[in-house]
Formats: sequence, structure tokens, C-alpha cells
Amino acid sequence: MLEHTLVPMPLETRYQEIKRYVRLDERDAQLLRAFGQLAAPELPRIAREFYDRIREHEEAHAVLTGEEQIQRLQRSLVAWMQRVCSGQYDERYHEQTAIIGRVHVRIGLPQRYMLTAMALIRIELLRIADRALGVEAGPTREAIVRILDLELAVMLEAYKDSFVERIEQAARQERSHLDSALVEAEHRYVSAVELAGFLMVGLDNQGCIQLFNREAERVSGYARDEVIGKQFGEALGLEDGAPLKRYLGELLAGGAPSRVLQACLRTRANKLRDVVWTFSTDKSEDDRIVVLVTGRDVTDEKAKEERSRQNERLAAIGTLAAGLAHEIRNPLNGAQLHVSFLERAIKRKAEEQDMLEATRVVGDEIKRLANLVTEFLDFARPRPPELKPTSLSKLMEHACGLVDASAKAARVRLTCDKPSSDVEFPADTAKMTQVLLNLLYNAVEAAGAAGGGNVMLRGRRGPRQVFVDVEDDGPGLSSPDAPIFDAFYSTKEGGTGLGLAISHRIVTDHGGTIDVTSRPGKTNFHITLPIEIS
Amino acid sequence: MSGLPGARHNKVLIVDGDFRSSQRLATLLGEDGYDVDVARDASAAIVRLGRGPLPNILITELKLPLGDGSALARYAHSQASGVRVIVLTRYPNLFVPAAFGAVPPAVLTKPLDYARLLEMLQGHPLSGESGAEAASPRI
Repeated sequence: MLEHTLVPMPLETRYQEIKRYVRLDERDAQLLRAFGQLAAPELPRIAREFYDRIREHEEAHAVLTGEEQIQRLQRSLVAWMQRVCSGQYDERYHEQTAIIGRVHVRIGLPQRYMLTAMALIRIELLRIADRALGVEAGPTREAIVRILDLELAVMLEAYKDSFVERIEQAARQERSHLDSALVEAEHRYVSAVELAGFLMVGLDNQGCIQLFNREAERVSGYARDEVIGKQFGEALGLEDGAPLKRYLGELLAGGAPSRVLQACLRTRANKLRDVVWTFSTDKSEDDRIVVLVTGRDVTDEKAKEERSRQNERLAAIGTLAAGLAHEIRNPLNGAQLHVSFLERAIKRKAEEQDMLEATRVVGDEIKRLANLVTEFLDFARPRPPELKPTSLSKLMEHACGLVDASAKAARVRLTCDKPSSDVEFPADTAKMTQVLLNLLYNAVEAAGAAGGGNVMLRGRRGPRQVFVDVEDDGPGLSSPDAPIFDAFYSTKEGGTGLGLAISHRIVTDHGGTIDVTSRPGKTNFHITLPIEIS
Repeated sequence: MSGLPGARHNKVLIVDGDFRSSQRLATLLGEDGYDVDVARDASAAIVRLGRGPLPNILITELKLPLGDGSALARYAHSQASGVRVIVLTRYPNLFVPAAFGAVPPAVLTKPLDYARLLEMLQGHPLSGESGAEAASPRI
């Protein structure tokens, strides 16, 4: 019933509300219209003085672009003052004032300048009223004050609207930043888990896998689809699983602190990896994952440690052996000097030539032992190669020159097949010469065994390597699988068994490789050496 | 025994902890005409170098009891600048030419090849492991 009796009232506009507030009425409109005619001749002056004042202030001046603009603005100010005194204060008037206010906001005119400008105009208009109307100026003065207050109120609304809009925009931006920060944080979290260099496995309150990161996939060989939902220990085939299962049970029941356990993981390829697992609990209600297990694959680390220990042991043995080898030289020296003495004494007695022969044998054996000591030390404690750019052709020529006499003596034809254009490669010339001499003497010996033969030293250049071949047409190796590069392996009577082992070591110290192919009538040692030092 | 040409008037001092071997070397050199003294450690060698007549050839091990060969060689040079030094050592890897001062000595590795030593003493100092080889000795 009540609804039917109510007549909808038109809502008061904001402008009407402001007008009512400053109490501007029709009487004021009439007074202002009359005043407008009185003031009209003085308005250009007011506009000029107004902008002169404006230009005195740096910040206000900054919004001005030049004289032409100022003159245009002065004309606009005159038009504005004419409009203020027009007596037509309807909605259209309001709209025009609002437009002016928005322009002020847009060009960034600070409010304080607008307020002081308005005060300046107010003073000027009031003075005109006082001068023109004398003691009867009172009502017109009030009308001027009201219309200018109304102008101010409408223009300040534009500032307020701008503030509200800016605040809302800032709020929108903040929300947007928060949203993107959240997305970024989530992305970072996912990346951190996925790209982590350790295994990360999340378990639910039943101990079943719910999270399985990329490293866990890589180490175990299982895709996450294969293990999600399965029991942790069983899915990963953990060895010694019983204590781990018991601990996990305690952890899930909340009765165990975080612990670090080591348990081998059996990969999909049925290989065991040593993993150190760290368990931590997270009982937040909004997450299905209550236990986070991180694992570090220490298999390679442990193997490296073991190798390091082994190397240390070998180095210690090497040091001892080298020391021993050096010390052996003293008794050898004593023996050698005494043999020299004996040899000289026996030489004086012509009838004891067989004794002389015996002392020579002892002397030779001492020399052989000394040679063995030197070669052993060369093998066991080599000095690192001193790499310098080395001409392959010159190296080959030098080596062939040194072996030439032995080759001729053994009736072996020695050929030096150099590369068509020379190439330099980083090498310790003395050591590499040692390698070539070793191989060439062996080849000459092998080829000469049957009363003569051929030995070829060939050098070639590859894209990033040099190749050196030492080839002979001797009887070949007794067995193609013989460990000829192993220390103390020798088939030669009187050989130390270290020559090829040393050669192998020198070549590998240069970053190269050496291998052999052999059949009766052709044995080839093939050396590859890098041209550039990697 | 008449001795080798050039051996006469040559005084040799052998310094080595292996005294028996030094004595045998002294015997051989004595038979070849050299006047030889033997010291079993650096201290004894210094005492010997403190009285005349001074040796003009010093054969020394690098590692000596109570001292080292390079210091002894420097001391010998301070006593007689013309003394010629030959290092006879079981540790050729420890040889550092600069440690001997301005004149690097010749180096021979044990066991001694007596014939090479004689060559060296008779004026062929570069025929052994001396000179260029001494700069990068066998280990």
C-alpha cells in the first residue's frame, strides 16, 4: 500500500546540490548579469594581470608553452569571466565549468594555483563592483562571491574525480602486480622443484608418492606417472627398506623427528645408486603432501672418493718405490766400481780370461739394473710434458737420423714419409722423440730379426690431430691381445718391459692415443696427437 | 803405474756417504795417476778444504751426510775458484744448476761408468751427462 502512495522524487544533481549549498539564486543571477556589463571593459586587463602573475611561478609557468598560448588563454579567461557574469547558471553552464576543471586536471595545474588565481579574480571583480556601485555594491559582491565559490566547487570536483580515478587505478595496478607476483612465485616454486639438482619426492599421509621431480625421474629412470600413488620404498626399490619403512611410519604418525638416512635406490635399469635421503614433515591442512623427501645421489661422489683414496695409496707406494729406486743406485755404484776394479786386476793376468768374462757379465747386469731403475723412475714419477709448438717433419727427421745407423747395421731400410706440408703441434720434443725412438728401435729390431726388412715412419695431418705411424714388416706380435703397453711386459731378452709403457704414458700425457695392429708381415703403431691444446 | 796423461798433478777430493765405494773409486783413480782424498761427509770435506794443498777436482754426491753437495761446491769455489766440480749422484732429479753458483758442474748418475768419468777428467766435460743434459737430468 505504502509503495502506491509514494511519488518518485527526481534526484538532485550534484550541480543542484552545490548551487543550493552556496545559495546562488535567481536574484544573484540578475545582479551578476548587470554587473557583467559594468565589468566588461576591464576583463582583458584582469586576464593580462592574471597570466603575468602565473608566469612568475615556475611550476605554473611550466604548463605554458609560449606567448601565443598565453594570449589564447587570456582570451579564454575573458570569455570565462563573461560567462561567470552571464546570469545563465543552468546544467549547460555547469558542464562547461566541469570541462574547464578537467582541462586543469589534464594539464597538471596544481590546485593551489587555481585557488590563488580564483582569489585574484575575486578581488578584481569585487573592486570593480565597489568602484561602480559604491555603497550599494553589497548584494552584487555577495553574488560575485557565490558564483565564484560555485565555480571553485565544480572545478575541485574534477580534481576529486581525478584523485578517485588515480586511486582506483593504483589499486587495480596493485591487484595486478599481486596477481602476477603470485603467478611468478608459483612458477618459481615449480621451477625450483623441477630444476633442483636433487631428488624431491612428496608423500601423502599414507606414505604414497604424490610429487616426483625431474631429478628423481632422471636418477631412478621412472617416469612420474609410474610412481605417483605408489608406496615410496617399494616404488623406488629401496634396499634395506624395513628400517626406512618403520621410520616413515613413525614420521607419518608424528612421532619421529626429521632424519637423514642412506638407502640404495634400484633404478629401472636394475642398477643401484647410493642416495642420502632427508625426511621432513609438513602437516599444513591444505596440502596433500605431508612428508617431503629430498635425496642426493652420492654414487659418483663415493666412487670418486674411492678413486681418490686409491690414487693416494698408489701415490704413496709410488713415492716409496721411487725413493727405493734412487737408493738402489748406491749399492749398484759400489758393485760397479768393484767390478771395474776386478776387471782391471784380472786383465793383468792373461791366464784368467774366463774370470774376465764373468766380471764383464756382472758389469753388464749392473748396467741393466741401472737402466731398469732409470726407466722405472721415468715411468713412475714422470715430469709433466713441457708443451711447445713442434714441427712434425723435423721431429720425424731427427728420430730417423738417430736410428739410421742401427737400421743400416740390421740391414733394415728405414723410410721417413713426412706430411706434404709441415704441421706444428704442441709437444715436449724430448719426450716425443723418446717415443719415436722407442718405437723405431723396436721396429728395426723386429724387421731385422729375419736378416733385413723395412721400417716406415709416416706422419700425416688430420683436421684437429696429427697422425704418426711406425710400421715394420717383421714377424708381428706373438699375440694380438698381448698387453704390450703394460709395465714390465716384455718379450725381448734383456728388455725392461717399460719402453712401451713409458711411450703410452707420454702420448696420453700429450692428450693423444696410441694403439697397435699386428699380423705376420705387418705391425703398425698408430699415434694420434691433438693439434690444439684443449 | 805411470798413470794417464794429464792425471799427474791433479788432486781429486771424493765426497760421498758411501765410503767403501768412494775408496774403491779412489783406488781406481790412484792407479790412473790421480792424487785422491776421500771424505765421508760434508763436514769432513770442509775440514779437508780448509788445509792445503787444495784439490782441483771435487767429485761429490748431492745428498751427503751433514750437508748437501751444492753447498759444498760453493764452499770449495770460495776456497779455490778454479776447482772443477763433478756431481756423482743417485738423485739426479734433485740437481739444480743454479744452486752451484756461476759455473754449473757436470753430472753423472750412479752407478758410475768409470770410462766416462775418465773421459771427463781428461778434458771432455760435455761427453757425459753434463752440459745441456745437466739442465734436464735423468730422474
